[in-house]
Amino acid sequence: MDALGPRFERFLAAVEPDRAGRVIACEAITGGYSRISARALVRWRGGAEETFILRGDPPPGSGVFTSDRDAEWDLLTALSAATSIATPAARWYDRSGEYLGSKAIVMDCVAAVSLQDEMARAARVDTGAGPLADLFVDTFAQVHQTPLDLLPAQMPRPPDGPAYLDGVLAGYDRMAGKYPSSAPVLRYVSWWARAHQPPPVPLGLVHGDCQPSNVLVGPSGPPLVIDWEFGHIGDPREDLGYYTQIPLQPNVYWADPERFLGRYRAATGLTEEQVNPRVVDYFLIIGMAALLEQLLVAAAAIGAAERPGILASYLINAISHQHDMFLAICDRLS
Amino acid sequence: MITRPTTDVLIEDCCRELTEAILPGLTDETLKLRLVMTETVLRNAAVRAAHEIAWMREETTALLDYAGRVAARHGSEALRAALAEVGPTDSLHLADVADRYERAGQAFTAALAAAQEAGDADLVAEARELLRDRIATEKEVMATYEVVGR
Repeated sequence: MDALGPRFERFLAAVEPDRAGRVIACEAITGGYSRISARALVRWRGGAEETFILRGDPPPGSGVFTSDRDAEWDLLTALSAATSIATPAARWYDRSGEYLGSKAIVMDCVAAVSLQDEMARAARVDTGAGPLADLFVDTFAQVHQTPLDLLPAQMPRPPDGPAYLDGVLAGYDRMAGKYPSSAPVLRYVSWWARAHQPPPVPLGLVHGDCQPSNVLVGPSGPPLVIDWEFGHIGDPREDLGYYTQIPLQPNVYWADPERFLGRYRAATGLTEEQVNPRVVDYFLIIGMAALLEQLLVAAAAIGAAERPGILASYLINAISHQHDMFLAICDRLS
Repeated sequence: MITRPTTDVLIEDCCRELTEAILPGLTDETLKLRLVMTETVLRNAAVRAAHEIAWMREETTALLDYAGRVAARHGSEALRAALAEVGPTDSLHLADVADRYERAGQAFTAALAAAQEAGDADLVAEARELLRDRIATEKEVMATYEVVGR
């Protein structure tokens, strides 16, 4: 058990003082680029056991991707309280980091596997990922149709779709002004993207890291959507564009884009003019904006006193990869 | 100074040490992942060490040539100011070359903006070709980059 175990036990004593929770095991979960996660087995007074996932911020000044844990907690609790989006139950929140060393959310650990793993298994045994692809599409179509009035009041709400897109593209111009190595590409891309805006759709809840790895499926019950740290109100097509660049195989969008988008249109009521492969291509540019900015911030911090860690240097390649993808999109859609 | 092995070869040797001698001895999954990332960064750095001064100088010349031609057709105050910021230098020290390259990039960006605002499709298309060359260089640095740790 590492040092997190005793800290978690003190936290449990504070939030569940009558249950005498003992941490039996606590181990870090590797993988993922942003939050620090751990799995902890707890035995309560009377012998009942529960397993939890602890999801916290990396130490200040380290890591590449930053997000607001308060906002994630607010969104998680709003989703579970008022919407049909299923997530693992969010049990407690160390809002100050006093107990767990950083702001950390504690969730139930569910008996489920990642939809990505299920898709890979289906591909291996040659049963095909079609039904699982449909489940993925349906899950995110449902996310995107979440009534916005059920979301936390403090979530930023753009006035409408076009204004939202303008804001994202203005963000690219801002990045171009701050990061000279990327400025030529970003200036070209933002100018191009302004001239090729697709027809608008209603704003919706955007997950921000839309991929089957963030959907858990169990033997029963609805799929559970996890990792909401980049959730925001925006253009739902961002999630579709974002998913197209996920390298984990199988990628069920690329397996059959028409099937994927046909099902999405049927589930959302959006038209073919609003959702088609070219539009999805466009929205890769929009859906990557926030992450690209964080990559650029981290790259600029390399060599500073508070270094962001090896991930920042490693992900410089991701910046180059995005430059390449963005320019290729401009070429394909021009 | 000792010229051989060159910097890129030294770095590649470090990469081999990391992957062949150190990585197999690690049991901590997080440390393994960090080592794989470190090795990738070093491999990219080896490519850069071998070529980056030449690449930046070549591209700087092309960017400034473009910016100069745009300035002749669609001169803007921002473009003239950006060009004036570049300045001549013969220094081959890496920091000086990188600094001039970035200033040339800013002049290019201002020139692209001027061409876009003027609706000059030919000059915008030329800019796209220059960006294509830039991406080709970035891809050469990326070498065999694959996403790990997700």
